[in-house]
Amino acid sequence: MSRLASSSSSLVSRVAGSGLTREVKPLVSTSKREARQRVLNLYRSWYRQMPYIMMDYYVPVSVADCRKRLKEVFAANRHLTDIRAIDMLVIKGQMELRETIEVWKQKTHFMMYFRDTVKQKPSEGFLSKFLDGKS
Amino acid sequence: MLRNASRLHACLNGSTSPIASTGCLQEGLVAVRHQATQAATPPKDAKPQKTKFGPLKDQDRIFTNLYGRHDWKLKGAMARGDWYKTKEILLKGHEWILSEVKKSGLRGRGGAGFPSGMKWSFMNKPSDGRPKYLVVNADEGEPGTCKDREIMRHDPHKLVEGCLIAGRAMHARAAYIYIRGEFYNEAVNLQIAVNEAYKAGLIGENACGSGYDFDVFVFRGAGAYICGEETALIESLEGKQGKPRLKPPFPADIGVFGCPTTVANVETVAVAPAICRRGGDWFHSFGRERNSGTKLFCISGHVNTPVTVEEEMSIPLKELIERHAGGVIGGWDNLLGIIPGGSSVPVLPKSICETVLMDFDALQAVQSGLGTAAIIVMNKQADIIKCIARLSEFYKHESCGQCTPCREGCGWLNKIMWRFVEGNARPEEIDMIWELSKQIEGHTICALGDAAAWPVQGLIRHFRPVIEERMAQFAAKNKKTASEKKGTDRVAIAQ
Amino acid sequence: MFHPGGVHGARHIAQSLHHVKNAIRGTCSSKLLMQQKAAAAVAVESKKGTVTPPPTGPAPTAPAAPNSVEVYIDDKMVMVEPGTTVLQAAALAGVEIPRFCYHDRLSIAGNCRMCLVEVEKSVKPVASCAMPVMKGMRVKTNSPMTRKAREGVMEFLLMNHPLDCPICDQGGECDLQDQSMMFGSDRSRFTDIKFDGKRAVEDKNIGPLIKTIMNRCIHCTRCIRFGSEVAGVDDLGTTGRGNEMQVGTYVEKLFASELSGNVIDLCPVGALTSKPYAFTYRPWELRKHESVDVMDGLGSAILVNSRGGEIIRILPRVHEGINEEWISDKTRFVYDGLKRQRLTQPMLKNSQGLLEPVDWEDALSGIAARINRVPGQEMAALVGGLCDVEALTALKDLMNRLGCETLCTEESFPMNAAGTDLRSNYLLNTKITGVEEADLVLLIGTNIRFEAPVLNARIRKAYLHNNLRIASIGERVDLRYETDFLGDSVHVLAQLADGDHKYSEILSKAKKPMIIVGSSSLQHGDGTAVLANAIVLADSLRSKMSSNGDESDWKVLNVLHRHANQVGALDLGYKAGPSAIKQMQPKVLFMMGADDGVVQRRDLAGDAFVIYQGHHGDKGAEMADAVLPGAAYTEKYATYVNTEGRAQRGNVAVTPPGMAREDWKILRALSEFVRGSSVLPYDSLDEVRKRLAEIAPHLTRYGQVEDANYFRQSKDLVWNAARPGHSGQTLPAQQRELEDFYMTNTISRASRTMAKCVTAARHQKSTRYGL
Repeated sequence: MSRLASSSSSLVSRVAGSGLTREVKPLVSTSKREARQRVLNLYRSWYRQMPYIMMDYYVPVSVADCRKRLKEVFAANRHLTDIRAIDMLVIKGQMELRETIEVWKQKTHFMMYFRDTVKQKPSEGFLSKFLDGKS
Repeated sequence: MLRNASRLHACLNGSTSPIASTGCLQEGLVAVRHQATQAATPPKDAKPQKTKFGPLKDQDRIFTNLYGRHDWKLKGAMARGDWYKTKEILLKGHEWILSEVKKSGLRGRGGAGFPSGMKWSFMNKPSDGRPKYLVVNADEGEPGTCKDREIMRHDPHKLVEGCLIAGRAMHARAAYIYIRGEFYNEAVNLQIAVNEAYKAGLIGENACGSGYDFDVFVFRGAGAYICGEETALIESLEGKQGKPRLKPPFPADIGVFGCPTTVANVETVAVAPAICRRGGDWFHSFGRERNSGTKLFCISGHVNTPVTVEEEMSIPLKELIERHAGGVIGGWDNLLGIIPGGSSVPVLPKSICETVLMDFDALQAVQSGLGTAAIIVMNKQADIIKCIARLSEFYKHESCGQCTPCREGCGWLNKIMWRFVEGNARPEEIDMIWELSKQIEGHTICALGDAAAWPVQGLIRHFRPVIEERMAQFAAKNKKTASEKKGTDRVAIAQ
Repeated sequence: MFHPGGVHGARHIAQSLHHVKNAIRGTCSSKLLMQQKAAAAVAVESKKGTVTPPPTGPAPTAPAAPNSVEVYIDDKMVMVEPGTTVLQAAALAGVEIPRFCYHDRLSIAGNCRMCLVEVEKSVKPVASCAMPVMKGMRVKTNSPMTRKAREGVMEFLLMNHPLDCPICDQGGECDLQDQSMMFGSDRSRFTDIKFDGKRAVEDKNIGPLIKTIMNRCIHCTRCIRFGSEVAGVDDLGTTGRGNEMQVGTYVEKLFASELSGNVIDLCPVGALTSKPYAFTYRPWELRKHESVDVMDGLGSAILVNSRGGEIIRILPRVHEGINEEWISDKTRFVYDGLKRQRLTQPMLKNSQGLLEPVDWEDALSGIAARINRVPGQEMAALVGGLCDVEALTALKDLMNRLGCETLCTEESFPMNAAGTDLRSNYLLNTKITGVEEADLVLLIGTNIRFEAPVLNARIRKAYLHNNLRIASIGERVDLRYETDFLGDSVHVLAQLADGDHKYSEILSKAKKPMIIVGSSSLQHGDGTAVLANAIVLADSLRSKMSSNGDESDWKVLNVLHRHANQVGALDLGYKAGPSAIKQMQPKVLFMMGADDGVVQRRDLAGDAFVIYQGHHGDKGAEMADAVLPGAAYTEKYATYVNTEGRAQRGNVAVTPPGMAREDWKILRALSEFVRGSSVLPYDSLDEVRKRLAEIAPHLTRYGQVEDANYFRQSKDLVWNAARPGHSGQTLPAQQRELEDFYMTNTISRASRTMAKCVTAARHQKSTRYGL
């Protein structure tokens, strides 16, 4: 997702840098409004699906946690303006959703969404050993 | 035999200490064994050996009311010469009394035969402030023995006076007479005698007017054989379980209530006044060298007239029985064996009984002992194995249970002995029981272990063929019944 | 010429009739024994020099101590003091003579006969445990006669001993087993097993601690002698005679002693074994860890046996300065309390006000969040008596860094005059061994029998052997020896201090008096008066001693603490008593192992945040907002300072359960979360101890007692302040009877075994035989 996002942003910047408006073939959406609608739809689908996902996965997070995280993930891309980039992300998001709902993912894959939320534990020193129960 | 105590052993056994053991019967006997070998070569300048011992002349008897034919109370006793010039004897001082007793060659009459003069002199160390005590061992429990009770019921004043004189000799403050619980009448008589003596001022404060304070207490035991062992007696007297103490320390150092104490047999104490009055030399003139004096012999068992009699030491056993006990039932030839010194000494077969003299050394030489001089006669109608088994049972019952070899060993001996009575054993077990008895002997705190071992050893030493024959009979009978049984079994199967 | 042994014995039975009383059998022989021990000790000191090869040459070259005699053990010469027994002399020569009934610390019974040895010129073998040596004695410990005697005794012992070793708990540490391997015959001749079988004896029920299988008893009477000599309880004895002799209590009753468990160690066979340990493990399967006991203020030396992360049993170690080789039942059997009621997870109160398990990070950050909001002046810390010195150091460092100076112990102590500022005021200054030198002990407001059972056993020993005289003030309690009861309130003590009590004369005549003040009496309303008067009295006795020309630095005043590390806490500067906390009403209270409930919620500010760190869920955890699971004494490397001021180290036997951690580490971790630069500067045990050495160097000199000696100043301070008045109430004993003894701290309260003991003691009290 992030790789895509970066490539699309470079695309946008290139366009912006040339000072020209270049016609490009749209991916799906033709207007900003349409793209926004797609994003909202995706968000809603995820949001509604959360309780059922929780039923399928035995993970140490609550529905509230997931929705909070969902919001964070979407918000992380809110600066995007390139419609093609947004569309691409939406498509990826739908794929992710499908994989999640169909339980093609496993617990660890699901928990990858939360990877950056875990505060980094001290990797050395007294405290790390203490918290790991190694001292 | 356990009655009294010997210190002889430790005394003889070398550099260690002259005072050493009291009370250990076995010690005593071993020591006497020593002596016997020494006695074999008499010194050159000895006066001509006396060869004829007994019978005792009436005027030489000490216990003149042994059979209770006269008044036993103070009046009668004084008429017989007791309490005569006791004050003068006391005033001669302890040195003199001790020297007379030493001169007399008196050996303890309780069984171990330790020289009394020496034993009493152990008490004459400088005082450290503790009072000294004389304890009289009147816990006469040795089977076959009935001499002390005769003294106490028929001549108690001899004992009371003896306490005073012996007590004076060892600076004792008081005498405790520990009397066997079963001796009810004896205790009553003795107490009366003590009361009379107190009343007459003979004992108590300023005894006999000699300026010497001396008390006599009568203490009744509760009837355990082991309480005749001197340290067990002391424990019992202190109100504890009658279990022998370890020695050292010996009672002469730490005895009753922690004070120096001498424990002496009733007879030993009771002859002291006579010795003092008639002189040590008079007493010494009886019996063989080292075995001097007169002695009460208690003859029981298969004799026509069982009796307790005072006789000269070293009187031949056969003469003693023939003269005083009316001979063996069924005649001398019907004799099987004799236990010459109370239940704890080994039995002697007829062949030895023919010639043996009744004194410490002679009996020691034939591997028995004088003990309390309680002669138990068995004629050929007796089952000797059963007799000894009964003694084993007695010792098993009377073992105090304190130390291992005696506690466990006596029970084991008893078990085997009763199988021997039946014959339900293998001949190897005779050797085993011999070894077991050796494992008990000498390994215990007191002499009860030895006393339990010796009768069995005596039996095996002299009557082994009888045991083996019994076993053979049993085996034959059992084989027969076994085969019969087998036969019936076969019949049963056939049917 | 008299028997040396005899003369010796007689010398020690002293002069007067007074001694007649004492000269009963046991006393005699143990007097002998003590002397012999002294002799042995002397001999040990010069042992290296005096053991020489067989005397082939002329006179021995070794420097002989004056008045010692030479003895030849298997032709090897040793010089020993007269009065030493053959067995002890043999031990000096490096020859161990087998024994069952003989025990160093008990009187000599001489009844097992296993120690028979041949002595030259003696016709029969002698019992070496009881026979004093004589000059030139030649002992043969391995001659045919000796071996035969041993084999015989062994055979007799095994005759009635059930051969149930496979199901016997003593297996592996059984003297009978070992010695029958060493000295016994290789076959049995006991054919009578086919006819009668062996002796069968009914088992006795003597309480919830000791399991009896009386068939196995070999009648060595060690347990009986222990009961009557050391514990002072005549419950055990023998009944019957000969083969029917039985060791037991005659009527079925509890072996009502606080030291009863020691008979398990004493029993050379499996007749007396531990009930809680029954059928668990063989001794060789256990891992042994040397450690220190925390059940009372003495810090007895113990050996913790563990297997698979579980404590299986606790045994005593020998420490001559403290417990000799005895430990109390609480010390021995409390270990099941370490497996129950444990705190295993950190907990925080959730929004519903319920404690909820959280992980360490959440717990620590949650606590830190609360702490960070409160200034240091509004914080306080309260520690219990089981906390180790390392944890106390860490806590103090942490709290001080946060600006908090109110650190208190649960146990209080009078703070007037010198209070706890002078160390000599709160130590057992004459040390535990001082009891053996003293000739008079004055006990004030203590039931020493239950507060320090092992010390009481030592007092009893001195009472029996040294004619120690004991006087007591305070509630009347049964100490198992005679005491001169002076009164039950501080009033008597004040009279004594002023010298106008009829006992003052006796007291002043004492050459080495000891005053032992129980810490519980100092917490009483009259505590201040107790201490002040005790200090004055002690000082007057000291000055009397020095005026009598006594140059020895004999300290009279002693305080007996009931808790394992109270002295350590005071040494580190903790304030005694929670009064400061009650005054300030803190907003944050850090309780470490504080479970006596001396501070309640109502003593704190309304919204106070209470942190409890400790190992058991007890009163402390109950009132806490945050719970940090710590380690118990068997689970950490920890230092404890006993009532003498002796620092001792305990070792880890098992790991703390669940998420529990060693206490100082928890505090160290917490320090990373709290505000500012509070991180504690130590990451390892060594560093903590280095820090300890900076602030209290004597606490790292392990095993040694750091003396304190400011009695004069202390007394001046008392004089300068007004002598405190007193109410004259009875000084109560905290532990009155046996049932009060078993449950005194959080570990023992969690122990099922201790609960059973309490029930048994109560039941025994209700029977007609009583306690």
